[in-house]
Amino acid sequence: MADPIHQFQIVKVVDFPDVTLPGVGLVDLAITNSHIAMTIAFSLVVLFLTLVTSNAKVVPGRLQTVGETLFGMIDNLTDSIIGHDGRKYFPFVFTIFLLILGMNLLGMALSFTATSQLAVTATLAIVTFGLVLVIGFAKNGLKFFLLFWPTGAPLVMRPVVGLIELFSFMLRPITLALRLFGNMLGGHVALKVFAGFVVTLGAMAAGGGLGLLGIPGAALSMSMVVGLTALEFLVAFLQAFVFAVLTCIYLNDVVNLGEGH
Amino acid sequence: MAAESPQSHGADTAHTTTTEAEHGSGGLPQFQFQHWGGQIAYLLVLFVILYVLISRVFTPRMRRVLDERASTIATALDTARQVQAEALDQARTGEAEVAEARARSQRVAAEARAKAAADSAAVAAVEDAKVAEKVAAAEAQIQKARDAAMANVAGIAEDIASAIVAKLTGTAPAAADVKAALAGRPGAR
Repeated sequence: MADPIHQFQIVKVVDFPDVTLPGVGLVDLAITNSHIAMTIAFSLVVLFLTLVTSNAKVVPGRLQTVGETLFGMIDNLTDSIIGHDGRKYFPFVFTIFLLILGMNLLGMALSFTATSQLAVTATLAIVTFGLVLVIGFAKNGLKFFLLFWPTGAPLVMRPVVGLIELFSFMLRPITLALRLFGNMLGGHVALKVFAGFVVTLGAMAAGGGLGLLGIPGAALSMSMVVGLTALEFLVAFLQAFVFAVLTCIYLNDVVNLGEGH
Repeated sequence: MAAESPQSHGADTAHTTTTEAEHGSGGLPQFQFQHWGGQIAYLLVLFVILYVLISRVFTPRMRRVLDERASTIATALDTARQVQAEALDQARTGEAEVAEARARSQRVAAEARAKAAADSAAVAAVEDAKVAEKVAAAEAQIQKARDAAMANVAGIAEDIASAIVAKLTGTAPAAADVKAALAGRPGAR
């Protein structure tokens, strides 16, 4: 049976000589399958947006409706979670959402999923977290730390609760990265395992004799693969959406600091 | 899994990772940290490009279309509301006109009825007068005829009386006697 982990292997497609940067160390400049997947997803997103907006009409066509639905969804999200200031952060959330959605959905078509790479999800999470920090300090200055000061708790408990709040805040990029990574990893491993069963049990059945017992198993695995594929499409969309929702919630924390607490 | 330090691992085994993973000894390929730098840098570049494109090009375009649609719908609604108000106005004026026309027609009808009644009364009066005149004339004629007839009756009675007397007595009475007798009657019996 094929190794279900093998699909996540980074393979160099075009190799360039490694560069050693001061302070960073050795950097591999090779173009890998991950780069290619990201590029395709990026190009598809840009192509999609171009098609949607270049010939936009007041009465939308089918593709424009899809684009406007996605646009309106994220627009509602930023508006309802962040509030009046939400429009300023809309492009960021929309970019994150479309990039993740593109890479997730492309993973359903290619054998490689960029969002199943921890490097990719961690980058997106740290970009989000970094933006939250930057906006938090730029908007609130040192009052930013009030975010961790629980005014609702009894005075004795406040330092403890505050510490817990700080920890949970610092864990945000990790949970963001791991949630997306884990979902993509798990889904694609499960798909590969069940698909592998189909092949293995099918090969057993082809051997004849007792191996024919493998046919019902193979059929069951096949139906599992079909079901899981549908589920993975849902997950691909849902995880992109969840990432966007959490980005909005985290941004709201620092944009409207002191108003909602 | 990724216990080895990323630098040494990346430097030494960059070209052998594929086979290593195939043998299942490398753990999750996601933790081969020598591949991280390239992916992160590339993703950041793509992210920035997409962010600029979305914030500068696509979002304004999209908002323009949405605003345009919103204004189109708003104007359409406004126009519809205006037209509706106009229609209501017209309906109201129409109703008023109908009511007025009905009142006018009723008035005209009443007038016509009154005039017709007056006319017919006048005509009837004229006819009545004519008829009464004719009746009076006829009555006068009848009276005259009767008087004439009565006068004749007296002459006839005289003649008959004198004839009867002559037959009875053989002598014709004087005309004056007969007349006196017929007029007074007492002497006849």
